[in-house]
Amino acid sequence: MTATPVPDPFTDPEGYLASAPVNPAGLPTAYEHGGRLTDAGTTADPVLVEIVQGTLASVEMEVETAIARTSRSPMIRDAHDFRAGIHDRQLRKLTGRSYSALVHPVVRDFPVAQMREGDVYFHNDVYESEGGIGHLPDLCVTVPVFHDGEVVAFVQAFGHHDDIGGAVPGSMPSDARTVFEEGLSVPPIKLWDAGTPNRAALRIMTRNSRMPDSLAADLDAECSACLMGARRLGELFARYGREAVETAFDAILDATTETYRREILDRIPDGTYVWEDYAEHDGVDEPTLHAQRITLTKASTGGPGPGDGGPRLVIDFTGTGPQARGPINHCGDYVGGNFLKKWLAPVLRNLADSPERMAELDVNEGVVPLIEMRFPEKGTLLTPVYPAPTNARTFVILRLLGVLAGVVAKAVDGRMPADQETIRYTGVYGKDAHGEDYLMREVLGGGSGGRYYADGEDTIHVVPDSRNLPTEFTESRFPFRVERLGLAVDSGGAGRHRGGLGYEKHMRMLEDAHFMSIADRSILACWGVKGGRAGRPFEVTVDLGGPEERVVDALADAEPVRAGQVIRIRTTGGGGWGDPLERPYDEVERDLRWGKVSFEGARADYGVVASGSTDDPVLDADASDALRSELRAARGEQPFFDRGPGYARLSGGAVAADVDWL
Amino acid sequence: MAEGARRIRVGIDTGGTFTDVVAVDEDSGAVVTTKTPSTPANPADGFIAGIEKILDVMGASGRDLTAVCHGTTVATNKLLEGKVERLGFVTTEGYEFMLEIARQAVPDGYGNSYFWVKPPRIVPADAVRTVRGRLDATGAEVRPFDEDDAVAAARFFRERGITTIGVCFLHAYADDSHELAMREVLRREHPEAVVSISSEVLREYREYERAMTTLVDAAVKPNVSRYVANIHERLDALWSDDGDGPTRGFYVMKSNGGVLSADEVTRQPITTVLSGPAAGALGAALVAGRAGFPKVLTCDGGGTSTDVSVVLDGEPTLTTEGSVGAYPSKIPMIDVVTVGAGGGSVAWVSPEGLLKVGPHSAGADPGPLCYGRGGTDPTVTDAHVVLGRIPPHLLGGEIPLDVDAARAGLERLAGTLGLDLERCAAGVLEISAWNQANALRQVSVKRGLDVRDFVLVTFGGSGSLLACRLVDVLGLAGVLVPVNPGNLSAFGLLTVDVRNDYVQTLVARHDGLDTAQVAAVLDALTARAAAALGAEGFPADRHEFVRTVDLRYFGQAYEVRVPASAGSPDAAWAAEVAGRFHDEHRRLYGYDFRDDPGQQVEWVNLRVTGVGPISRPEPQTLEPRDAASPVAPGDLPGQRGTRAVCFDAADGHVDTPVLWRPDLRAGDTFPGPAVVEEFGSTVPVHPGFAVRVDDAGNLVVTRAAAPTEGAR
Repeated sequence: MTATPVPDPFTDPEGYLASAPVNPAGLPTAYEHGGRLTDAGTTADPVLVEIVQGTLASVEMEVETAIARTSRSPMIRDAHDFRAGIHDRQLRKLTGRSYSALVHPVVRDFPVAQMREGDVYFHNDVYESEGGIGHLPDLCVTVPVFHDGEVVAFVQAFGHHDDIGGAVPGSMPSDARTVFEEGLSVPPIKLWDAGTPNRAALRIMTRNSRMPDSLAADLDAECSACLMGARRLGELFARYGREAVETAFDAILDATTETYRREILDRIPDGTYVWEDYAEHDGVDEPTLHAQRITLTKASTGGPGPGDGGPRLVIDFTGTGPQARGPINHCGDYVGGNFLKKWLAPVLRNLADSPERMAELDVNEGVVPLIEMRFPEKGTLLTPVYPAPTNARTFVILRLLGVLAGVVAKAVDGRMPADQETIRYTGVYGKDAHGEDYLMREVLGGGSGGRYYADGEDTIHVVPDSRNLPTEFTESRFPFRVERLGLAVDSGGAGRHRGGLGYEKHMRMLEDAHFMSIADRSILACWGVKGGRAGRPFEVTVDLGGPEERVVDALADAEPVRAGQVIRIRTTGGGGWGDPLERPYDEVERDLRWGKVSFEGARADYGVVASGSTDDPVLDADASDALRSELRAARGEQPFFDRGPGYARLSGGAVAADVDWL
Repeated sequence: MAEGARRIRVGIDTGGTFTDVVAVDEDSGAVVTTKTPSTPANPADGFIAGIEKILDVMGASGRDLTAVCHGTTVATNKLLEGKVERLGFVTTEGYEFMLEIARQAVPDGYGNSYFWVKPPRIVPADAVRTVRGRLDATGAEVRPFDEDDAVAAARFFRERGITTIGVCFLHAYADDSHELAMREVLRREHPEAVVSISSEVLREYREYERAMTTLVDAAVKPNVSRYVANIHERLDALWSDDGDGPTRGFYVMKSNGGVLSADEVTRQPITTVLSGPAAGALGAALVAGRAGFPKVLTCDGGGTSTDVSVVLDGEPTLTTEGSVGAYPSKIPMIDVVTVGAGGGSVAWVSPEGLLKVGPHSAGADPGPLCYGRGGTDPTVTDAHVVLGRIPPHLLGGEIPLDVDAARAGLERLAGTLGLDLERCAAGVLEISAWNQANALRQVSVKRGLDVRDFVLVTFGGSGSLLACRLVDVLGLAGVLVPVNPGNLSAFGLLTVDVRNDYVQTLVARHDGLDTAQVAAVLDALTARAAAALGAEGFPADRHEFVRTVDLRYFGQAYEVRVPASAGSPDAAWAAEVAGRFHDEHRRLYGYDFRDDPGQQVEWVNLRVTGVGPISRPEPQTLEPRDAASPVAPGDLPGQRGTRAVCFDAADGHVDTPVLWRPDLRAGDTFPGPAVVEEFGSTVPVHPGFAVRVDDAGNLVVTRAAAPTEGAR
């Protein structure tokens, strides 16, 4: 680690770009990774490239289908919290529909030359995962693919299992102080040796879980699915030969690099931009601003390519807040941030020409050469020191997507989406009418942010295909009645393009129970950009309209609720995009008619005067024109980002951060 | 029956380009086929033209028709095009945003939630009305139905001219009284309205899916009703039904693999959304079953897309998780995966510089370059014709193809990619074959099946063109090309029983199961099924009832369906059902909890399917070769000539025998390379493959290395 101070990117950009990045975790070992398989410029057969790419996507989907079909944990089967990935022998990720863990820790500990057909490797140890695994319930299985007796690729899958031991059921203690409370850590091990399962290892793992049967079933599902995928890939090598397939692998990754260079990086003007956002609490200390900061530098040269090279991005996390005492830390600084590059790159797709094009862009290892990551020294939220706890690291890494979106927004005059929801769990537990214990826990989404081309969408969730629970299912199972499953009116951040709305859910308990919640964005809100306002934050009220009505903390383990009382949950609205006073009257009128904005909201947030009823709103254009000019005149200069009124509570009174101004 | 009248049954399948017609003379068993152009502007015109044409071919009149079975795309197209008229939705108070929320799921990749734009809801938020009144999960009333709210909702729709309305109240699957009351109010206050209520469309829990299914049913109702009424009227005129003739049936194919009388269909139009694909899969199932193949993948290749499905032991696999276009439907339907790889699929170069094929299609109009109708992009069909794999004309010579235009288009594409023409054309076909292969893998992996045990039945205009490559890529056991492959869907329509599905959700743990209540529900469902079969003209002694039950382990969110026996439900009967559930769960998921007292079995849905059996066409046999039809020395059987065909770009065009399929005889065998042609369909047989003509006239294509029965 360097002792020389790194030059300031704003005042000495050349010096900054030339300086060596701080890489506190270092590189894992001397094993070779990240390189090409063929010489640059090798000609690939375009027909074979398409066939190989289609087969990779198909194998990825087949592995995921097989896991979904045979695993047991609800988090995998219902909430779809699992992913498969295919990597080449240089450990480069070839598939691109979703993130995946890394193969690096496996080959670090088990030399490739000694691997045998039928081997299956396992790990879930966060600090031994090179940053590929964020918390212990994510159980990761890796299977090498063989051709002519040599390892030519890897098929890998991980899934969020229900319980891997530790202090609480579900292995996600919100007040954990160390990884030891979070469950059993398994560094890379050989779970199957040339086709023979290691019974001792399986027994140790199942013995440490509160749900040993489903743990065993989940592992079985992952192992057999990955072995099937490895056979399928082996067939591809057998059919076309190693050289042709590896040429196609290089061509697929090259094409991604080229596409991002042309359709993404070229959209960002050269320069340095900085922004930060915050987690509001860590489960242990009182709410405070846990900063995650990105200093983004875009240069037109120095990236991969001939001559001066093409464009590159430097994402520098210096300025990120200190390691939290609670479990919101994420091990990001390994292998030069390889995992985080692929985790964050999907957000860059928002720079492409249209939503249709954005959806077409894969995120595979081809993005990695374009991005350089720089980390602060050990001891921050992104460079935690073992054994700091990490189980709720979603609060940090999902927020990082928004930090990157925000810093890019500063560079491109706001042509990025405003902020959207992060993951949260809410639920009730107790004894049902038969006296039996139950736990109902669900992941409720929120609104997405406004975009320069569209409003945000209502009640979406960042995890693909994750679903809410139907009322007709929960009422048949648990002792409550869902009196309302609707949208939180006015929760979408006001803007030229409004943020999407969050949920409003009313549950009437039929038996005494306890309410639990693991959520953030209850003080801070999803930010609006370029004049757009923040959405409304998360909020839970117990005994709505009753004598004991009260607002409950977003981190609640056991809030008592009595039979007959109503719990109201409102989830976050997305941030707005652009000036709400520019929103056309017909769109505000439609929001009134659709019940997404109230008449008071239209007046206060949009400067629109309307009377009548929701069914027949009557908009007064003259009065609205007048009100809008009054509002424009009254407001001072606005920061580029709006974080909502909660920010001042944690900032000591400031309504915006320094970095919120252009 | 009138003296001397013949008894003819007709299957008629309306596709995007052609209407296929198959007729069977029930006395002689003779099967006749024909085709007419489809008439998308008014599909009924093409339908009647098809009927008239087949009667003409048979020298018969309308009075000889006993039944007409129809596969229609009226409902499907309406949904695929998203042209849904303004709908209204009535639901329970507190749930006015049910459609806006949906299931919160964002499709596809991670990170897409940032840019995903939700498609418009089937009913906009301002056309949703709520009514007070609430049931619990057992169907018991928590709060009474509020008549005033109902009247206000009805008048709201009437005043705004919204005349198509779906109703879905919470827990209406358990008790329909509030929905019936709502329908009564609508009838009284807004008599013009066409109404679908969820308790009639789908008696199954999960409110969003039930509401969507109900709204889709309502949305297609006006069109399907008009269409069916129009055809019925013209059929009546054709068979000059004066009321005292024989019972004549007009049936429409349903997505579940059964048929329903047309009048009944207008009341449940959603059941027809996969009418056409279901008919094709059934036809393939029957043909393959008779040829001795129990495990079948079907591949129905059309102009714009290819439909694939799985058939096990003669039964197409069904799903209740299907969707049509953007609309989910929980109605049982055949599990078809549609892949955008058909004859009209366009070959193009992506911004990354890679060769792509589909999913967009030149369709039938303008169609491929070789159609000479103004197409601008090379397609899969163009690649076939350039390589000589199909003849330079369509439909046995009726329509010539412009080979030069196809060649010029592919040369341009080849130039962009730096390939030679043959390599480029073969590459387009290779990519298309892999796209189909990947779809076939998806339908089988999802059920834990290994494709290598399966025979592929190829049909439709383009279904057989890549058959040999699919065998190779997937390692399939072989390919069966049925007789008249272009007409298999229409033939399938003649093989179908009348089928109606009834479901009732009844959530109960196995330990506390009230078998008397189960019996009562099954009796009620059976009575509804029997009434429907009676109305279809089936006497009680021909009614068949199939019971199935959906169960899960307590705590699971998804069910497994198992058959239940016909006996009276008692403890032993229930134990047998639970036992089947454990077995099936193990088969599907690899484990069960049979001996674990901590894991409860939960009953969820009871289902009864009423079946009215129809006589199937007798198997036709093909004559073996005899002295009257010798094979010329040096020729393959049925050979009409040769053509230069390119199977492998490395070998270029090679002189290849061209066989005329009607000249083949049972027992003929021949090796590839060869091209087998007939009216409306072509089978390129690649080098290394062998063909056997079976007794029914099917072509059985296998790898030459594999032992083939009766090979010479």
